[in-house]
Amino acid sequence: MKMHLALPRPVRATARPERRVRQRLAAACPASAVPAVVMLLAVVACNAWLQPDFFSAESLGSLLQNAAPVLLVCMAQAIIVLVGELDLSVGAGISLVNCLLAGLPARAGLGTGTTCAVALAAALVAGLCNGFLVGYLRQSALVCTFATGAILFGIALTVMPQPGGAVPEVLGTLYAQRLGPVPLAAVPLVLAALLWIGLQRHRLGRRLIATGSNADAALKSGIDIRVVKLLAYGIAWLLVFASAACISAETASGDARLGLSYTLNSVAAVVIGGISLAGGRGSMIGAACGGLVLVLIGNVVYFAGIPSNYQEVFKGAVIVLALGFTFVGSRRPA
Amino acid sequence: MIKGTNARRALLLVLVVGVLVSGQFAVPGFANGGQLGNQVKIAAFLGLFGLCQTIAMMSGGQGLDLSIGATATLGGILGAAVIGPGPAGLLPAFATALACGAIVGLVNGGGITLFRVPPLVMTLATASLIDGGLIVWTSVMQANTAATPTLVALTGGSVAGLPRLSVLWILVAGVVWYLIERSAWGRGLMATGANPDAAYLSGARVRLIRIAAYVISASIASLTGVLLVGYAGQAFLGLGGSYLLTSVVVAVIGGVSLAGGRGDYIAVVIAALFLTVLTSLLTALQIEEAGRQCIFGATLLAFLAINGLPGRVGRLRTRRMHGGG
Repeated sequence: MKMHLALPRPVRATARPERRVRQRLAAACPASAVPAVVMLLAVVACNAWLQPDFFSAESLGSLLQNAAPVLLVCMAQAIIVLVGELDLSVGAGISLVNCLLAGLPARAGLGTGTTCAVALAAALVAGLCNGFLVGYLRQSALVCTFATGAILFGIALTVMPQPGGAVPEVLGTLYAQRLGPVPLAAVPLVLAALLWIGLQRHRLGRRLIATGSNADAALKSGIDIRVVKLLAYGIAWLLVFASAACISAETASGDARLGLSYTLNSVAAVVIGGISLAGGRGSMIGAACGGLVLVLIGNVVYFAGIPSNYQEVFKGAVIVLALGFTFVGSRRPA
Repeated sequence: MIKGTNARRALLLVLVVGVLVSGQFAVPGFANGGQLGNQVKIAAFLGLFGLCQTIAMMSGGQGLDLSIGATATLGGILGAAVIGPGPAGLLPAFATALACGAIVGLVNGGGITLFRVPPLVMTLATASLIDGGLIVWTSVMQANTAATPTLVALTGGSVAGLPRLSVLWILVAGVVWYLIERSAWGRGLMATGANPDAAYLSGARVRLIRIAAYVISASIASLTGVLLVGYAGQAFLGLGGSYLLTSVVVAVIGGVSLAGGRGDYIAVVIAALFLTVLTSLLTALQIEEAGRQCIFGATLLAFLAINGLPGRVGRLRTRRMHGGG
């Protein structure tokens, strides 16, 4: 249960065929992700009931475009939470990348390629700074990413004091393009999934989980947990950049406050997805389901025709219910 | 690192004086009497919200109360709805706010201790519920939102040259200092925060103590919300929202440990003063929000570095974080 993510499950010699099937199932959908999967199915059912053409290629495609940035930032948060830390600056990071993408072409006269490179470099530097503070200086992730978040938000505001600017058009047209029925928005998601699968098979992925589940034990078995944490933040911020690029492609303009709501949503999604905030326990599938639940709740609220005054409280109530469901269902020690 | 609480108090005091003196040089009139009174008044709100955060953080288990902004708005709006004329009319307002705060605190504390939801997530979830509920309330109910003259006088007037609000703040700070340093509950809170397992084994009612911490935090936030209505003249959505993040900053600068069990409210009080004078200096120097955010972040990072450099203390803290539940 603890390390189903990275370590091969021990298969007993006496394993009967049905047990092997169960193990396969457990590997695909670990127990911690079950509440999230059940909730996802419920929300999808609700959505399909309220929106008759929900399963059409058109609506699924636009859903994918809306969900891709949320899923990417949830995956980023999940990687950091799995290593036993937290990042409250991802939202400000998204804002910063968005402002750089929208502001640099006009203000500094940079080309599309250079703009993207600068934005990516900024995201990586921010992520590595967080990783350095948390891994090497052993600061509390909660407070120091909160502080770096304020700084990132400040820089984003400096780049773009007022909402506006224009994101290079190439991004927008690429993002809206479709290959047959599949929108290109799926590409970053697929890449992120491949990255995670590759990581799980690599030594680093295993060290990540080991560090998250018991940092002292990992340290004593020769893992340099400082490097592991630094790299976890670095990888996560690649995904933060991807998420911000998707959002920017969709909105086509820059706004320093655009990303702020993503921080809390990503934490909520990770928790709903059954990943323990203590680190080391949980699965990426759960986090992805948690993120999708949040996106689809927004859809349900919209299509159910709930008056706009009531939307906030309804969303809040569903999230509280989801949390209750997750925590009562698992009853694991905090 | 800073050893002992006195050193931190001294450092923060030096910083407050430093900001005031440099402010006086940069913007003449920055540190005169009337300005100072106003600063103390603003700092009182920050200090009261910082107090909520201090108590929640000291209860340990990565304790944090991110619902205080929403709770203050709740207390302010509902308090204003039932407020009556004259001094007697304040009673229903404060009673309603207290009841609201107690309920919010019970929900937070219950979720955190009984269902083991992480405080960060639990308090954010209640905050989103309260915020959503208040949007519905303000759009459906046509209740009073204006502050009465008595309430305005309570927050605006002064007693013997001191702003009334700061007198109130000193009183609350004194009571809390006594509760934390001298009472059985305070010792239980410290023990629970430092090591919940050991506290439990030595007979402390860990869950009750934690629930009480969140109830007190939410109640103070809610009551402060009513005072905010008096200060602003009116209750509105988002009344307390701007104090949420600064309350965390103040508590951390004041040396309250997120790992729990450590904290000194006197230092938090001075930290609230420091942050207030710093903010008004930046405003007086016409530094935009972008610059202010960066300076806040940098200040917080600097104090984090002071709180625990790597070494013995740092190691102890990580171990506690992984071991303690």
